[in-house]
Amino acid sequence: MSSEPLLDSLLLRHDTWRGRNRSLRKHVVATGNNSLDGLLLGGWPVSALTELVTQQDGIGELSILLPTIKHYTSEDKLCVWLDPPYQPYAPSLVNAGIPLDKLLIVRSKNSKEWLWAAEQSIRGKALLFAWSNKAQPRYSALRKLQLAATESLAPAFLFSPHNALKTHSPALLRIELESLEPNALSITLHKLRGKMPGAKIQISVGDVMAERMLLDKLPVNIHYPKSQQSGYPLSKKDDLQSLNT
Amino acid sequence: MQTAPHQIDQNIWLYIKLPQLAIEAVTTNTAILLKEVPVAVAYSHKNAQCIDCCNQSAKAWGVDPLMSVSTALAICPDLTVLTKNVQQEQQLLQQLALIAYRFSPEIIIDTDGLWLDLSGCAQLFNGYNRLLKKLYTQLCRQSVNATSGVGKSPMAAKLLCSTKFHQYLPDSGEIQCALMTTALNTLPSTNKQQQNFKQLGLTTIGDLLALPRSALSQRFNSELMDTLQQLQGDKPCLLTRFKPANEFHSAVQNPQGLYSKESLLFPMKTLLQRLYQYLMARQCYSRKLVWRFEPLLGKHQFMTVRLSGSNHSGSSLLSLSRIQLERLELPSSIEQVSLFCDQFTAMPGLSFDLFGDQMSLQENTAELIDNLNARLGAEALSRPTINTEHLPELAGNIGAIDQSSDPEQQPGQTQKPLWLLPKPAPIKLHNQQLYWRKPLTIVSGPERLCGNWWQSEQQRDYYLACDSKGARYWIFRESTNKRWFVHGIFA
Repeated sequence: MSSEPLLDSLLLRHDTWRGRNRSLRKHVVATGNNSLDGLLLGGWPVSALTELVTQQDGIGELSILLPTIKHYTSEDKLCVWLDPPYQPYAPSLVNAGIPLDKLLIVRSKNSKEWLWAAEQSIRGKALLFAWSNKAQPRYSALRKLQLAATESLAPAFLFSPHNALKTHSPALLRIELESLEPNALSITLHKLRGKMPGAKIQISVGDVMAERMLLDKLPVNIHYPKSQQSGYPLSKKDDLQSLNT
Repeated sequence: MQTAPHQIDQNIWLYIKLPQLAIEAVTTNTAILLKEVPVAVAYSHKNAQCIDCCNQSAKAWGVDPLMSVSTALAICPDLTVLTKNVQQEQQLLQQLALIAYRFSPEIIIDTDGLWLDLSGCAQLFNGYNRLLKKLYTQLCRQSVNATSGVGKSPMAAKLLCSTKFHQYLPDSGEIQCALMTTALNTLPSTNKQQQNFKQLGLTTIGDLLALPRSALSQRFNSELMDTLQQLQGDKPCLLTRFKPANEFHSAVQNPQGLYSKESLLFPMKTLLQRLYQYLMARQCYSRKLVWRFEPLLGKHQFMTVRLSGSNHSGSSLLSLSRIQLERLELPSSIEQVSLFCDQFTAMPGLSFDLFGDQMSLQENTAELIDNLNARLGAEALSRPTINTEHLPELAGNIGAIDQSSDPEQQPGQTQKPLWLLPKPAPIKLHNQQLYWRKPLTIVSGPERLCGNWWQSEQQRDYYLACDSKGARYWIFRESTNKRWFVHGIFA
């Protein structure tokens, strides 16, 4: 019996990787950052699970996704945040141009509910942001999400802690985010169809900031004994505030 | 040939008679089974049980309406005798009226049938014959036996009711001819009048109508003249028209009791189908379903299914109810399941776009929210909200999903973090060095935010800080007690 029908059916599957076939990489959505687009061969893969492994919170891991959220919510898509580690701060989301009524925060009680809600969101054609805070999901669970995502029209993002890198992931794209110096986010590619792992770029996040200050040099730091400058003139303080903007 | 369609458009009344209504109303679940078994419905009349209605197989045994139950049982020992329940008959008629309401805006409920004013309803259904065909299929789905009659007035339609359901519309000549040849004893009239008819040698309605009106009015009283005018459609029918109720309530009884959640789904499905008919008739979607499960003994249990109000098909409502039912603790045996619904939203005037993408997307979103709501509970879902307040924890909050926030917020000038800690975390201070997870350095600031001075004075100076690993935080120092806190994370 020939193996051709078997091969054909295998090739028809969305999750079969075919060497250097770039045709699969047509379905991407631009990240809004040119160097990141270059690293990811065009942008975030649509109809796939993307895993973002972060060293720690607060390095700009969510800001690189803000253009994507804005893009999808402007298309009337729902954006589901499953188990976010902290409370999303509405004013900054509004500043980023994201309509709040398109966001939905979902809290799960256990890993079973987490998986169910994630799969439902993907199948419901929503843009999914999932955080695996409680326990790292099993390979089979993530595989389920990846398979569900192949039928979806939006990307699905999973934020994993750093120790997730020890295990394999069925996600189509896996990148590691870390910040070695302030305002610079370095992104390491761990897995992407059609590209060798290990590629690394650095992008700047946040605003250009003012110089670092020591605590006793603060303008309003009048109460510390070391500081000699009490009663700063008001105009000076305004100058410093404008740096912040 | 001579009757063009528009000629019969003037006044068309359809009468749907339900000869087996008494049986169909009292046996909901086992109706299919009962077709082969002789069944009769009996009512009490002067201390005696009389047969009110019986099915075909009972008739084949020789059982007839008006026969006493003891006689019927003597003729047919296998006869199943059920008790007449007028209330349930009325409920069934109401359900059928809801279905008929989709075909005609004018429905009148009779004791064992329905009138439909079909005049002008042909356009919507591409002709009367299609309308009748659709109506018949709908009635068959409800597993009722229906027969029909068509006339120019409600009374004529009832008189002309035949023994089967006609799926085509007779032309006006046929109707007129049939009416004229109808026997006079079917006309609603007193015994004395019937005798008079006999003495005059009148046997059909045609004979009566052929006589001059003035002569008739001299001979008979004004009631008969009224009847004749109503029969010919000269006088409008004044019976009250059916209107769908303002809220939906329906129940399914199960005297044997239901012992598992799977078996509960059958009565639930029936109820949801009824709800669907109701929603279609009222052109609206439901916002909330309330299920009531009543056990044989003990306290009943409620289950509320909240809906985003955008889908109404029986299957999706059933799957939502099913998801929620899995979470519910129920008594071991359920005798009655009832469904109550009183919150509705108007069905949006849908305009289909050419490729159908947008429509399905909105439906998907609503379905997703409903699903998550049913399985995880309303408390698991929330949405960021924004308020015009100065303190960050009040300006950005988390609210219920149906709560709308104030979108007229001016975008602030300063950079704000994406994450807010639910409660500000205190920062340790060692040797003029701030510690939170790692040593922190201040990058920029301050921005002074004050709020709620009338409650307790809060004056905070917010700074942007970062640690050695590049993580950026939003920290503040309280002016009153000089303590430092982390409040946000720039993710």
